[in-house]
Amino acid sequence: MKPQRWGSVIRMRLRSLGRRDEVEQELEKELRFHLEQEIEQNVAAGASPAEARYAALRRLGGMAQIKEECRDMRRTNYIENFLQDARYAVRTLARSPGFAAAIVLTLALAIGANSAIFSVIDGVLLRPLPYPEPNRIVRVFLTNHTYPKFPLNPFDFRDFRTRNHTFDSLAGFSRGDLQLSGSGQPVKLNGFRVTAQYFRVLGLRPQQGREFDENDERPGNGRRVILSDRVWRTQFAADPNILGRKVTLDSQPFTVVGVMPPGAEHPGNEYHALAYGDTVDVWWPFTFEGDPANRGSHYLEGVGRLKQSVKPERAQAEMNAIMGQLAHEHPDGDSGWGVLTVPLYQEIVGSAKHLLLVLLGAVGLVLLIACANAASLLLARATARQREIAVRVALGAPRWRLIRQMLTESILIALVGGGLGGAMAVGGVRALVSLLPADFPRADAIHVNAPVLAFTLLIAIATGLLFGLAPALQASQTDLQQGLHEGGRGSTGSGRHLRLRNALVVAEVSLASVLLIGAGLMLRSLVNLLRMDAGFRPQRVLTATVSLPPEVYKTRAEVAHFYDQVITNLGSIPGVRSAGAGTDLPWTGYDENLGGFTIEGKNPPPHEEFHARYHAATPDYFRSLGIPLVRGRFFTEADNKDAPWAMIINQTMARLYWPHEDAVGKRIAFDDTPKESDWMTIVGVVGDVKDRPNSSGAEPAFWWSVLQQPFPFREMSILVRADSDPQRLLGVVRHEVQRLDPSLAVADVRLMDEITDASISTPRLAFFLVGLFGALAIALAAIGTYGVISYSVNRRTHEFGLRMALGAERRDVLSLVVSQGAKLAVGGVGLGVIFALLLARVLRSLIYDVSPADPLTFAAVSLMVTAIAVVACYIPARRATQADPMTALRAE
Amino acid sequence: MSKPSDLIQGTLDLLILKMLSLEPAHGWAIAKRIEQVSKDALQVTQGALYPALHRLEQQGWVRAEWRTTETGREAKFYALTKAGRAQLEKELAQWERLSHAVGLVIRMA
Repeated sequence: MKPQRWGSVIRMRLRSLGRRDEVEQELEKELRFHLEQEIEQNVAAGASPAEARYAALRRLGGMAQIKEECRDMRRTNYIENFLQDARYAVRTLARSPGFAAAIVLTLALAIGANSAIFSVIDGVLLRPLPYPEPNRIVRVFLTNHTYPKFPLNPFDFRDFRTRNHTFDSLAGFSRGDLQLSGSGQPVKLNGFRVTAQYFRVLGLRPQQGREFDENDERPGNGRRVILSDRVWRTQFAADPNILGRKVTLDSQPFTVVGVMPPGAEHPGNEYHALAYGDTVDVWWPFTFEGDPANRGSHYLEGVGRLKQSVKPERAQAEMNAIMGQLAHEHPDGDSGWGVLTVPLYQEIVGSAKHLLLVLLGAVGLVLLIACANAASLLLARATARQREIAVRVALGAPRWRLIRQMLTESILIALVGGGLGGAMAVGGVRALVSLLPADFPRADAIHVNAPVLAFTLLIAIATGLLFGLAPALQASQTDLQQGLHEGGRGSTGSGRHLRLRNALVVAEVSLASVLLIGAGLMLRSLVNLLRMDAGFRPQRVLTATVSLPPEVYKTRAEVAHFYDQVITNLGSIPGVRSAGAGTDLPWTGYDENLGGFTIEGKNPPPHEEFHARYHAATPDYFRSLGIPLVRGRFFTEADNKDAPWAMIINQTMARLYWPHEDAVGKRIAFDDTPKESDWMTIVGVVGDVKDRPNSSGAEPAFWWSVLQQPFPFREMSILVRADSDPQRLLGVVRHEVQRLDPSLAVADVRLMDEITDASISTPRLAFFLVGLFGALAIALAAIGTYGVISYSVNRRTHEFGLRMALGAERRDVLSLVVSQGAKLAVGGVGLGVIFALLLARVLRSLIYDVSPADPLTFAAVSLMVTAIAVVACYIPARRATQADPMTALRAE
Repeated sequence: MSKPSDLIQGTLDLLILKMLSLEPAHGWAIAKRIEQVSKDALQVTQGALYPALHRLEQQGWVRAEWRTTETGREAKFYALTKAGRAQLEKELAQWERLSHAVGLVIRMA
């Protein structure tokens, strides 16, 4: 159809709709003209005026019918009918505002919850990553039995880069924060050392200057830097001549070679992790230093852009083949590794995806319950409206017209509910985002936007159809005679209605049980997590991170001296119970791993090596964190560079390598053929601290004394345990650090409580939301049960009166009604338990230390749901006992 | 005598479009002209004529305007649009094809 014709068609339709009266008048006029012409013709043929008129009218047929057919031709009938239906629906609903409000509110809650969860799903899962052709970007890891995801060795990376044919570009990156000084307070910048083509992999280009090339990777060329847009603007006042300018980072002159545009999103990393989307301030070249034959150390994270239409699996196969060659060439460092290529999208949202889908399922159930509830209420009302419907049928309304009328009503209700729900979603999403764990991927992409609103509209309409269909079909089958019969009490339709409504209640109760069982399991996991012995006491501990620039603090002694000094000074401040420093804090990423050391008198199992996480700590580190000493002693000031090597290990390491032995006094070394002076003696065993609160156990770990650090640990966390409120010490830590060196930045100042709190935020969020949905569900199910029982009591008032007239006790009537409700509840709970068992698999990854078929949870929820249902029946049951036998009998 | 309902589906549209291709006319004139030309073999009742005219108008094939007849009365005159003329060509061709085909079949044997 040509657009021109479309235009005229649309104009016609609009005219038919908007200027309906005018169009109607014209139709009338047109037909009258025809009639008059006909009459004139008849008169001309010799008929009398009366005869002529009569003949003309007869020829014309039914005037009204012609008009109706002409109207049909306008194709706007259905809109007019809809408007008519809608007006009628509004009038009917306005007559029972309580009923309408009940349905609208429950639907609004359910639809709002769905929209809120959907907006999270839309922002996190559905929206593509903010890189061009994001599907081609993959993360590259090494993998073996012990370490499923491990960083790359830099020289391995270089070989991967030159030998592969499946990547358009392959880059490595590694966390490398820098300290900016020169003007005002020194600031710590989030930084990454990146290889050539890092931004090409991500599909990003600097807004000024260039990105690094292989020339920048050469040793000695690393003092170049690419700034983020934010740093360029905030620290360098958006200097237009920034390129080529020298800036002081870690007390060294760096040359600015580029500035990235805003929105250059960090793809996330594992090693000293910075979550996806976190702010990165500077990028500087990764330089390949040292001996290329050394393939033992792994700290470079891989990311690559696949060539057009290359699948990640193919790239992985090729990379594994290259790894095979490398293992052949460097059997020492490179054997035993496989390569893993994981699509970036999966890497970023993988962990959140499951939680979100479970939440979507949960709100979906709530919506189903709300539908069942609305259907049940509508059914009850349909019974009350039987007379009205019967009258309409008697007056010739076709069945489909009645169904349409009823559906219009239910869709109208759902749309109002949807509108209200959409408004709730806007608030709900804001609350939801504030509840999300800090490391939740892409939280900033969550908004109520057009797709979310479209989704809301869609589910509102679908909801209206879903809950309106059954009542509409039933109503349209109204028996004329019964319906019209005055006082058609106990009509045949009601029995069917009641069966359907009973089924709806059972369904509601079962779905609510599923949700509550899920919530119960999550509550138990949360309690387990909270009750779990963290291995340390986070209360009243303040932490902060300091990073010493290598150019100023060149030697191990200088580094050790600095931290020793700060800790000693801090320890003498009133209000500080103890102060310590360590290379790592629990639950912030314990990831420095070391393998291949020697244990005196022991050999590792075949194809394995001795390995453990390594750290360094000052004497009071453990005391400050509240990590208990199990055997031996803590470090002391005497464990310095002049003393023999001392080492503290954790219980897991003691159990793993010295089972049934006392580890204290045993020795390990980091050379294959250690001299006597290389041996390090274990002086103490401390309690385990798990890597993450929900890891099944701790990794083996050991600590060097800071005063004996084998290589300089320039970045350390300072810990201060306070006598009372640690907040007061915030300024003190900064002051003490900068008193020693005013050029140092004090970063990540936090309470240890915040860290432990953040670590359980995901299970807490899961429990909170599923619990909220469960509560909503059980409230709806209770309303549904109440409605059905109450309706049935009303219907049976006569019967109860009769029973009581015949001598039944109130108690009998009460138990009669309550048992009717209890039957429904028990049926629902039974079904719910079965569903929950079937769904258990889905929850497995979201619960901790609880069986998905936990009998306690199942029993508690079953009891609770049944009890709530019984209470919901009790109110109408009481009314039943108040039936006056005389009134009941008179009503007959 | 053929009633309009006996007309093959869509034939009335074709007849109306054909009539209007000669000159714009009001409904009554269209009906009369069809009767005259077909020598009263085809009778067009108003019950079929007006819904058909309104449908053609809604589809944009004819355009309507109010004009005064020779007798000084106001009547709704229909005229063929450009799209309507194209549609007429299409329907004519289709009719030719159909009647030819039907002719072939019934003359067989």
